[in-house]
Amino acid sequence: MKIVIVGGGLAGLLATIRACEKGADVDLISFVPVKRSHSVCAQGGINGAVNTKGEGDSPWNHFDDTLLGGDYLANQPPVLGMCEAAPKIIYLMDRMGVMFTRTGEGLLDFRRFGGTLVHRTAFSGSTTGQQLLYGLDEQVRRWEVEGKVKKYEEWDFLSAVVDEDGTCRGCVAQDMKTMEIRAFPSDAVIMCTGGIGAIFGRTTNSVINTGSPLSSLYQQGVYYANPEMIQVHPTSIPGDDKCRLISEGVRGDGGRLWVPKDGKPWYFMEEWYPAYGNLVSRDVASRGIYKVCRELKMGLDGKDMVYLDVTHLDPEWIEKRQHGVLEIYRKFAGEEPTKVPMKVFPAMHYTMGGMWVDYDQMTNIPGLFAAGECEYQYHGANRLGANSLISCLYGGMVAGDKVLEYGKKLKKNTADVSGKIFEAEVARQKEKADKIYQLNGTENPYKLKDILNEYMTNNVTVIRYEKTMKETDEKIQELMARYKNIGVCDTGGWSNRTAVFIRHLWNMFELSRAITGGALLRKESRGAHYMPEYPDRDDENWLKTIKAKWTPDGPEFSLEDIDLSLIKPRVRRYDVRKDEVMKEEEKEEKKEAAATAEEK
Amino acid sequence: MSQTYHYLVRRLHSFAGIFPVGIFLLMHLFINSFALRGEAAYNRAVGFVNNIPGLVYLEILLIGVPIAFHALYGLWVTYVTKTSIFQYYYFRNWMFYLQRLTAVITLIFVVWHVWVLRIVRVFTGTEMTFLTVQAWLANPLYLTFYIIGLLAAVYHFSNGLWSFLVTWGITIGPESQRLTLYVCTVIFILLGIAGINSVYAFIR
Amino acid sequence: MSEILVKIKRQDGPKSKSYWEEFKVPLKTNMNVISILMEIQKNPVNAKGQQTVPVVWDCNCLEEVCGACTMVINGVPRQACAALVKDLKQPIVLRPLTKFPVVRDLMVDRNVMFENLKKIQGWIPIDGTYDLGPGPRIAPARRDEAYPIATCMTCGCCMEACPNVNSRTTYIGPAAIAQAKLFNTHPTGAMNKEERLDAVAGDGGIVDCGNAQNCERVCPKLIPLVSIIAEMNRETVFRGFTRWLKGKPQKAAFDEPIG
Repeated sequence: MKIVIVGGGLAGLLATIRACEKGADVDLISFVPVKRSHSVCAQGGINGAVNTKGEGDSPWNHFDDTLLGGDYLANQPPVLGMCEAAPKIIYLMDRMGVMFTRTGEGLLDFRRFGGTLVHRTAFSGSTTGQQLLYGLDEQVRRWEVEGKVKKYEEWDFLSAVVDEDGTCRGCVAQDMKTMEIRAFPSDAVIMCTGGIGAIFGRTTNSVINTGSPLSSLYQQGVYYANPEMIQVHPTSIPGDDKCRLISEGVRGDGGRLWVPKDGKPWYFMEEWYPAYGNLVSRDVASRGIYKVCRELKMGLDGKDMVYLDVTHLDPEWIEKRQHGVLEIYRKFAGEEPTKVPMKVFPAMHYTMGGMWVDYDQMTNIPGLFAAGECEYQYHGANRLGANSLISCLYGGMVAGDKVLEYGKKLKKNTADVSGKIFEAEVARQKEKADKIYQLNGTENPYKLKDILNEYMTNNVTVIRYEKTMKETDEKIQELMARYKNIGVCDTGGWSNRTAVFIRHLWNMFELSRAITGGALLRKESRGAHYMPEYPDRDDENWLKTIKAKWTPDGPEFSLEDIDLSLIKPRVRRYDVRKDEVMKEEEKEEKKEAAATAEEK
Repeated sequence: MSQTYHYLVRRLHSFAGIFPVGIFLLMHLFINSFALRGEAAYNRAVGFVNNIPGLVYLEILLIGVPIAFHALYGLWVTYVTKTSIFQYYYFRNWMFYLQRLTAVITLIFVVWHVWVLRIVRVFTGTEMTFLTVQAWLANPLYLTFYIIGLLAAVYHFSNGLWSFLVTWGITIGPESQRLTLYVCTVIFILLGIAGINSVYAFIR
Repeated sequence: MSEILVKIKRQDGPKSKSYWEEFKVPLKTNMNVISILMEIQKNPVNAKGQQTVPVVWDCNCLEEVCGACTMVINGVPRQACAALVKDLKQPIVLRPLTKFPVVRDLMVDRNVMFENLKKIQGWIPIDGTYDLGPGPRIAPARRDEAYPIATCMTCGCCMEACPNVNSRTTYIGPAAIAQAKLFNTHPTGAMNKEERLDAVAGDGGIVDCGNAQNCERVCPKLIPLVSIIAEMNRETVFRGFTRWLKGKPQKAAFDEPIG
């Protein structure tokens, strides 16, 4: 069986390994050399309820925290599947030689992370994502030597090839050196193409995260689920080219957020959320910082910044655990974080939404699978810290397994499909590419992206007003009109990155409309989505997945019920311990039951 | 099989630089230093060496062949290097560059030195004595070249010794490498002084 | 000081001739070399005021963990994202890495580094990805020794600065040698230690190191490459001697299948 896997991050690489192990041949297409994928940026760690700290942690507890953190906007069975597999996946990565941080006994060490009360996060210094990615990269290299994997690095995914029955039969991609466009016939395609941060410009994402493949497929009919769910990470170093992440692990290890008030440090998060303190879930922390800076106008020097302080911790200890993060701060901010508190501000960080997939990771196009950040399945309305790495690995693993099951059931193999559909799709893509070369107007594509970034970051992140979001949607449409007046400024036929960028730019516009549209549609506040006009969660009307379907006139939305078969949604509170909330709720339930019994 | 061959040859090259070439250099400088004790002492020492039984064979086997191997393979090693000392102003990089520079200087010097003081003697049948050397060093050009060649050889040996210890995995960490750097610097200075002193004995 | 002068060595393709182009870019606070190049994209006009083609370069994470944006900046190979303008002497001179084939402008093809990782068998030979329980225990001290090597992002700085990596040699460079040591440090990886040592002692292997030690000086991850190479020197020497003294392992009679 022949499979194409697009994307060489954690999800793509583990899917590759699983598929190879089960006998498939894989063409691995990646925008960058796989070892440079965005997964390297993950710092803090990977969640798995291994329970080695005597805290009575369990996968069920992890599952509960994940759902609660995501405000119950996730179908529950796959999330449980992920949490149950998590300890095994951590062990698997351990066996692959990932240099996790160890305890004195030589066991894996775990740290605390946001939205949880236990030590559940395995980590490797503060470069966990890099270490995990390298572990997989090495295994894939082994399969490459075996001849089961062929890598196509620095190729840009253009579209899926779909036959007359609506089944995916491969994809079309472009070599970014020679600019050759060709088809990759296969029995199935797994998309592992990551997030869409470039839409927001100054984010913690890598510059390659334009979401272009997701957008291409959305335009080919794949549903884009919960597009409005955009996570903003509370702590990053603001920069001119990008915002650099300061891991949640720093707060997990004791870092405190504060601003000066009456000449003394005011630990606002600890005051507002005594139970979880600085380790509330990310959306809550981001809004807290926004409140301090924008509403209370108490940001440092009146600017959008607060302190993240580790100066009270033992410098040697924190250096050992957070060396990577502290180094980034030293390098890019030029100050010594163990002596002077770090200055941070929230930045766009993660896309919970993505391609709609079923429990087998398959999209609504049969044969087209998706795993990792580019799909929507595991995080609901907000992702817990250190859950991204596990969701990428688990998703990739499931996809790698399920794709083979799908292949076995396939009635007609791709080898028997007429070559015409491939030729037709290649021709369509060549025509589109030629159109880009013919753009000879006056607009600079990079400047258009700047405008998009500004609008999206200002209006569609932490606090979302209906009015400014409507303005944003209009602006995007204006930009889409201006797109036609772009001057390509590089018409070369070799390694033309400008042409590639222009293609991605259009795709970013299409996604932006879905994001803004979804946010305007969801008239409540849930997880990362916070509308001051509708400050409360509304389970009755909006405990639903929003699915965007592309049309030439803009996104068309529909709602889908959520699988709540395992846990009843609770109110999300971080001022009181989770176990205490549960006890209270239990009492109330008993009271209610007694009351109804009395009535009877 | 070419793999092991490459490894072996390169390691032998490193080895030969110390045993026997480096050892020979030390002995040579030692014998030269007899000049400090005057003409008679020097002639006695040289005479002793010249009377070693089977000298020619020893000279060829223990000195000639290893030096030729070390020098010729070393030329190759120098050729495959592209140094950039003005791009990387790092101490070790300069040492690395000087090692190759002194290799070439030393080679030219040794060839010339062996030719005029050893091989020509075989053809002409002149005896090697204090006076021959003295006459020879009286030429200021020869004298300058002699000193340059001497210092180059001494540097090449001292830095080579340091490098040898790393190459064979004896000094691994930064501390041990720093210590041997000091030791090798002292060796360079002492050998340099000893060598120049001997030269001075001929021209005073 | 409101403008930055940048000199960029450009090349349209692998076989084209290179040329220099100068740009003037408005100075902003907190700028790095990446933001200079981004400014040029937005306004592709050179210092002479002529319209030109945006400079092509490689970059991704901008946090110095992916290794993509490595180039020679004012003579030293480093990541463009971590090169802050305020620390750089002007004019800022940007060149592509010289030890790898140029793709276009500042973008090079470093595939050879990944190929080298194949040569040294840079992986832990696990049985499979199915559930086999936890991995072997590793003492924290041993882990701390291995971890810095594991942060190597294959950026190529060490190879760029090494005088012995060039078109006349096949030297695999410090990065690959260090990776061999990483896998040899891991308890499972150590099971193939000999094979890796043989690879490191092989053609283009560790003997091509000339102790210039530039690699460690330019390594952005501060990996102690010098000590690693010295230790691998020792290991390969021991390996060479024992292999020769012991000879090839004889296959034991009872290893043969019975019947």
